[in-house]
Amino acid sequence: MSATRPLTTQHVAQATVQPQDNGLRLENISKHFTSAGADTQLHVLDNVQLDIAPGEFITIVGASGCGKSTLLRLILGLDEAFDGRILLDDKPIRGTGLERGIVFQDHRLFPWLTVEQNVAVGLKNAPLSAAQKRETVREHIQLVGLQDFTESYPHQISGGMAQRVAIARGLVNRPSVLLLDEPFGALDALTRTRLQRELQHIWQQEKITMVHVTHDVDEAVYLGDRVVVMQPHPGRIRRIVDVDLPRPRNRSDARFIALRDDVLSDFAELS
Amino acid sequence: MARATAEALDRQHLPAKNLAPVKRLPNAPTRPARRVAVPKSTKAWQTRAANIALAWLLPVALLGLWYIGTERGWLSEQVLPPPAFVYQTLGDLVSSGDLWLNASASLQRVVVGFLIGSALGVALGLAMGLSKTVEDYLLPTFNALVQIPVLGWMPFALLLFGIGEPLKYVLIAHAALVPVTLCTLQAFHEVPKRLLEVGRAYGFSQRQIVTDIVLPSAVAPIFTGLRLGFTKAWLSLVVVELLASSEGLGYLIAYSRQLFQLDLVMAAVVVVGTIGLLIDRGFEFIERRLNRGRPVKTGRLA
Repeated sequence: MSATRPLTTQHVAQATVQPQDNGLRLENISKHFTSAGADTQLHVLDNVQLDIAPGEFITIVGASGCGKSTLLRLILGLDEAFDGRILLDDKPIRGTGLERGIVFQDHRLFPWLTVEQNVAVGLKNAPLSAAQKRETVREHIQLVGLQDFTESYPHQISGGMAQRVAIARGLVNRPSVLLLDEPFGALDALTRTRLQRELQHIWQQEKITMVHVTHDVDEAVYLGDRVVVMQPHPGRIRRIVDVDLPRPRNRSDARFIALRDDVLSDFAELS
Repeated sequence: MARATAEALDRQHLPAKNLAPVKRLPNAPTRPARRVAVPKSTKAWQTRAANIALAWLLPVALLGLWYIGTERGWLSEQVLPPPAFVYQTLGDLVSSGDLWLNASASLQRVVVGFLIGSALGVALGLAMGLSKTVEDYLLPTFNALVQIPVLGWMPFALLLFGIGEPLKYVLIAHAALVPVTLCTLQAFHEVPKRLLEVGRAYGFSQRQIVTDIVLPSAVAPIFTGLRLGFTKAWLSLVVVELLASSEGLGYLIAYSRQLFQLDLVMAAVVVVGTIGLLIDRGFEFIERRLNRGRPVKTGRLA
C-alpha cells in the first residue's frame, strides 16, 4: 500500500480522502497475559470495539494498567496473540507493517546513528530509490524543524528534539496510521505543550489517522477529535467523548474546561 | 502550574486581541560596576595534574622503599639489586639489542595467538548469540573447560604440539578465547529489546536485525572482551615462555633466574609490565571512543 502512495505531501493529502479508505477497525479485541508458572490469567483487554475514520485524531486516555499501551502494541502488530480482529482498510493486519508508524514514549533512537540516519531507519525496507529516500528523509526532518541537527547524535540533542526525530521516523513512510504511545510523557511541561501543538500542526498537514495514547486528560482533549476513556481490570472502553471544538484549541475556553472536567470526572469515580 | 504555562503558550498562536498599550517603565539608572572578589577556581589542568601526581605517588614511594632497602642492606644485593643497577642493566639490554630481540619474539607470539583466539572467540560468541540451540549445546561444556588454567593444559599440550611455536600460539589463543567468547555472548544477550521492537515495527528482516541493531549495539561490549582477552593473552605468554622457549621476555626472566641475575629479572619484569600497560591503555582509548554516544552514563560514588 505504501508502494503506491505518492511522495509529496500535497499528493498524500489528496490520496487520503479517497472514499475506498475505510480506516482502522477494532473488532472485539480481548487480550490475556498468562503469567509463567501460575495457572492464573491476567485479563488485560476485554471486548474493545472501535471504529476510527481515516484522518481522525483519536486519543486514548486511562489510568496505568488499563491496557491502553497493550492495545497500541496489538494495532502495531508487535503482539499477535489476541482474540478479535483488527482491520485496516477492511484487511486484517498481520504483523507489523510500514502503513502503521509508531512513536514510543522513550524515543528509541539508535544511539550509534545520526538524526538523519535514524529517520532513514524507517525507510530501510521502503520500495524507494536511494535518492527518493534521501529526499523523503530531508522533508521529514524539515517537517519537525530539525534541519540544523541532521548530523547530531541522539545524546547530543535534548529529549524534546529526540522525540521529534522519533515522530519524523514514524511519519517517514507516510503511513496511513501513526500510533503514539505516550510520546510526551517523559518531557517537561513546556516542551510537552510545544510538541502537542506541533503534532497537531503535522496532523493537519499530513491528514493521516493518529491514535494517541496518553494519561494526560488535558492532552487528550486538546488533541483528539474523539477521546476514548478506558478503565482497568479488565481494560475496556468506558466511553467515547466527542471533542467538537475548533482548532487550535484554547485551554482556557469554557467549553474546553467543561469537556476536560467531564473526562476527569470519570477518573474521580474510578478511584 | 503546568496548565498555566500551557495556556500561556497556546495564546501565542491565537489571533491578537486589542490590548491596552503597556506603559513602559523608565530605564533603570546606570550604576558604576562594582568589583567583586571571586574566589579563584581550580583550573582543569590543575586538577588533571593533581590526579596524575596521585597516580605516581605509590610507584615513587615503592621505588624509594626499594632504594632505602638496598642502601641499608635489608636484603642482600644478590636477592634485591639496587634500582640504579637494574636501570643500568636495562640500558645494557637496550644497547645490546637483547631487549628488542626478546620483546619482538614475545610480541609476535602474543599478536598471533591473540588474533587466532579472539577471532575464534568472536565467532563462537556470535554462533552462540545467534542460535539458542548452539548455545545450549556448547555453553555448558565451554564453561566447564574454561575452569582449567593454562598451566593445567600444559603437559597435555606439550605432548600434542611439541615445544615449538604452535604450543605458544595455542595456549595464548586459548587464554584470549575465553573472555572474548563470553563478552560477545553477553553482548548478544543484552541487546535492548526496545530497539529490537523498533526493527520489527519497520519490517527489518532477521538479517537486518543482526547487522543493523544487534551488531552495532554489541560493538562496545565485544571490544571490552577483546581488551580483557589481550590482558589474559599477555599474562599467559609470560607463563608459557617461562616454561618452554629459547627467547622472549618470559624466557629472559627464567634464564636470568637460573643465573641468579636478579637485576636482569627485575629489568625484564619492568619491561613486561610497561608493554602490557601501554597496550591496555591503547585498548582503553579505543574502547572509550567506541562508547562515545552511548546513552548510559555511569556515575561514581566519590
